[in-house]
Amino acid sequence: MTTITPQSLEVPARRRGTGTRATRIIGLATIVMIGWLAVFGLLISPADRDQGDSVRIMYVHVPSVWLAYLAFIVTAICSAIHLFGRRHSLGVDRVAGASAEVGVVFMAVTLVTGMLWGRITWGVYWQWDARLTTTALLFISYIGYLAVRGLEGTRQQRARRSAVIGLLVVLEIPLVHWSVRLWRSLHQEATVLGTDLDVSLDGLMLFSLFSGVVAFTLLFIWLVLHRSRMLTMIDLAGERALDEALASRISEGGEKRA
Amino acid sequence: MAVSDAPDLTPRPTAERSRRSGRRILPIVVLTLVMIAGGVIITQALSTAVDYYCNVDEIGVRSGCDEDRRLRLQGTVAEGSVVTGTVATIFDIEFNDVVVAVEYEGEPGGIFRECLPVVVHGVFDTESGLFLGDRVEVKHSEEYVAVNDDRLSEAEAMACQPSA
Repeated sequence: MTTITPQSLEVPARRRGTGTRATRIIGLATIVMIGWLAVFGLLISPADRDQGDSVRIMYVHVPSVWLAYLAFIVTAICSAIHLFGRRHSLGVDRVAGASAEVGVVFMAVTLVTGMLWGRITWGVYWQWDARLTTTALLFISYIGYLAVRGLEGTRQQRARRSAVIGLLVVLEIPLVHWSVRLWRSLHQEATVLGTDLDVSLDGLMLFSLFSGVVAFTLLFIWLVLHRSRMLTMIDLAGERALDEALASRISEGGEKRA
Repeated sequence: MAVSDAPDLTPRPTAERSRRSGRRILPIVVLTLVMIAGGVIITQALSTAVDYYCNVDEIGVRSGCDEDRRLRLQGTVAEGSVVTGTVATIFDIEFNDVVVAVEYEGEPGGIFRECLPVVVHGVFDTESGLFLGDRVEVKHSEEYVAVNDDRLSEAEAMACQPSA
């Protein structure tokens, strides 16, 4: 019989980090693009005729919400792969969880920047109109998703429960996006991804917005890679703790018999 | 080792597995259909309730836009109509050539100015016919124009766009 000892489960120190050469390159590119965005968003792009300098909030607000949508769609795709795939992979479940966590952060940034912009432009921080209400609902739904991930149970149970929820709550995204078309809202309609595909945005503003989307996409990839690896390490640490407890109990039994 | 103690590792029949996966998918399909049905009900049946405002030309015409109830009225601030007093700000809002005079106690916030669409919360005063607003929100359009855009003359930039 092979004896499991805590020493045999030691992980080499050099493999403990979540960074790789690829993540370091992505991280560096993210820093460069955020610097680029800051220069274009704050200095080069013009102020808006009506909004003045508050238009610059858009370069964070809009990429944040797009990336939150992307994060939640990634969560849904990974949930579907886990649920309907043959292997019921826990790896894709961890990516789903990591993506949802990052998406919630992006959604929080969206809500905060939107409220600041609303106070300056509309004159109020918040109103319960269709867009703002459905966005808040989406945010809360994914907080609920993360809460479900934290429930008691095995990792397979966690993955299955959260995959079902991940596939359902993603259906809120079209409702949020089209809420300004379906109902009359204080929030303006889409400037870039509208139904007529006509972009009502100054050239430099559009370029700054595009820079924001690229910067935030890189940030999203970097964060999800690190976080999913961290979740893997947390799961491994849990397994290791269990193995250590078992090894300890086995050795106790051996001592008693002796 | 006794044969009877060994766990049965014989693969399950394929038909059984397919029935089980069918049972797993069914609740998801049902829940998805329920959510889609809920979405259709919200978007179709409750549209009047969910709409944030009534346009000025819908007063007394559209359901939920009755003159004797509290309203959120949307219209463009008419050019040359803003009079700022010590206590109140008076201005007209218009939509589809229908004009309503608004009296708002205080100075409207946000980027309020002539020619921009606004949503005014308030009630009609039956005696004066004024719409007594207690909150004004500026409704920005989806159009973004650079402040120093050479393609636009100052007059064009300041001119009221026809509201529709």
